[in-house]
Amino acid sequence: MKPLKIAMMSLTHGHTRKYYQTLRDNPKLDWVAVCAEEKAAREVYALYQTGVPCYDSAEAMFAAHPDIEAVVLASANSKHMEQVRFCAERGIHILSMKIPTFDMAEYDEMIALCDRAGIVCQVELEMHYNPVVRRLKELIAAGSLGRILSIQATNITLSPVWAFPWQGVPESSYGRRVPLRSGDARFRGGALCDHPHVFDLVRHLTGSDFESVYAEVAPNLRKELEVEDMLLVNGRLKDGTAFLFDPSWSRMEERLKVPGPGWEVYPKRMEVNLTITGEKGVLVGDCFGPNVYHNGAPNDRYTVQYTYFDEWIGLIDEFVGCIRNKRTPLIDLRRHRRTIEVMNACYESIRTGRPESVN
Amino acid sequence: MNITQMNRALGALREKYSVVRTGAILPGGVLETEAGKVTLLPWRVERRFVELRNIASNGTLEGISTLRFASITAGGELEAQLVREFDLAAWITGKPVEHVFAAIAPGGCAANVIAALEGGVKASIECSNKLPEGADVIDRHEIIAARGVASDRCVDTQVPQSSLYLYAEGGERRYTDVDFELFGFSGEEIVLVRAAFAVLSNPELGAAWNAAAGNAKKCARAVFESGRDGKVGEF
Repeated sequence: MKPLKIAMMSLTHGHTRKYYQTLRDNPKLDWVAVCAEEKAAREVYALYQTGVPCYDSAEAMFAAHPDIEAVVLASANSKHMEQVRFCAERGIHILSMKIPTFDMAEYDEMIALCDRAGIVCQVELEMHYNPVVRRLKELIAAGSLGRILSIQATNITLSPVWAFPWQGVPESSYGRRVPLRSGDARFRGGALCDHPHVFDLVRHLTGSDFESVYAEVAPNLRKELEVEDMLLVNGRLKDGTAFLFDPSWSRMEERLKVPGPGWEVYPKRMEVNLTITGEKGVLVGDCFGPNVYHNGAPNDRYTVQYTYFDEWIGLIDEFVGCIRNKRTPLIDLRRHRRTIEVMNACYESIRTGRPESVN
Repeated sequence: MNITQMNRALGALREKYSVVRTGAILPGGVLETEAGKVTLLPWRVERRFVELRNIASNGTLEGISTLRFASITAGGELEAQLVREFDLAAWITGKPVEHVFAAIAPGGCAANVIAALEGGVKASIECSNKLPEGADVIDRHEIIAARGVASDRCVDTQVPQSSLYLYAEGGERRYTDVDFELFGFSGEEIVLVRAAFAVLSNPELGAAWNAAAGNAKKCARAVFESGRDGKVGEF
């Protein structure tokens, strides 16, 4: 199979650095270029010494590398629409970050553009390539729990806003400035926007869909943020399953400009844990554990050193396979639309103070 | 352990990552290559040990003083356990073992070892094989330094944790899946395939691993001699 000529755009998304090793190691790929409009992003990129050239605009990158076939849109959510247009016009396949857009009209335009251009647009929901999730899916499908009755899930992390400031700017993260609710000084665009995984996983694991959601924001841990950092969501799926999610930024962080050792204050900076209750039993899972632990440099704090972060290998394998074999990705724009709709309904529930139907 | 399936997976990895060298995993943890047989050291590709070695060598820990390693199995050869623990000690610290003193339990089911590594680092190595049949291995690897302690076991736990716990009819079942590309294989099979792939990807590893396996075996044998003679075994 001819290696896929791939590039990255913007380099401002929190997941940017996670692609570097996979793009280098995977022989199905020929990683030819990156572009970043922001000087700060170019400077951070230079620290990683990838040897792959960096351009200051997409136009310059494509002029120098007209044979690019696919891109990773590693940009702020508010940039996605214009970048999808740019790529669709050129017939470039797209690996989108986890939030293509929260604006449903824009979302539908993205679908139409990709359909017309005949390009693959896969959405980066890397938990599908996590081996613990795969085991969960198999155990549930095999009937180990019987009918699912209840799911609790966390997708809790530190806040990435100090390294990736756009995640704290409502217009960049949510797409526009929408107050959370009357009398609250905060706006949509915080922790919820960072954590679509649990919403997607529940659909993936149960095969069901959301019926209603109820969400509440708690007082922020980081008083200077103008977006929410703590919230809880519960509700019901169409098959009757009750759920409760915590998609918060509840783990405190050092305010590093570049993520690295010592980022976490709480020992484990990210977790996706699930408890699933069925008619025949209970499954308790930690998708990122066990690990190894230390209290050494730089801060002498007890720290979880992750031993597994390979989701990007499977994700890229699927992306390349879909392009070369003209297949549809498991998570494409159409499939993911519903998850975005439900996340919007959570914001709506916060605004109204009532459960929202998402039929 | 399904050697045929493991070799098929090894072939798939070779093809995916364009590794041209060929080889076959044999029973007993040996890789047969065109250049000869290589004793696989599968623990060296196990993620927790790779990370512990990184932590020990990249400045996260400073001034390593003592290792506390333990391994308890359900049956099996004590010597094989000792080989693994001695190789881990030398590989993680980058320091060879200089001498050992051992107390062996009556009947030979357990070894309590104090080892000295180059540069004065000491190690306690506890091995036994008296877990009941079918029980999962219990092990622990702790590195104690002037700046920091690192361990593959979380604080306030005594036994390994798992990713998934299923509580259903038939009791508790545990799962720890760590490799999406080799999903479906057991942990033991995965590290053997990964170790074989590492050797095929980097043929210089073959000679290095054979030498390291020889050194670890010498240490393990010295443990039994020390236990028998009551003397310090030096290298």
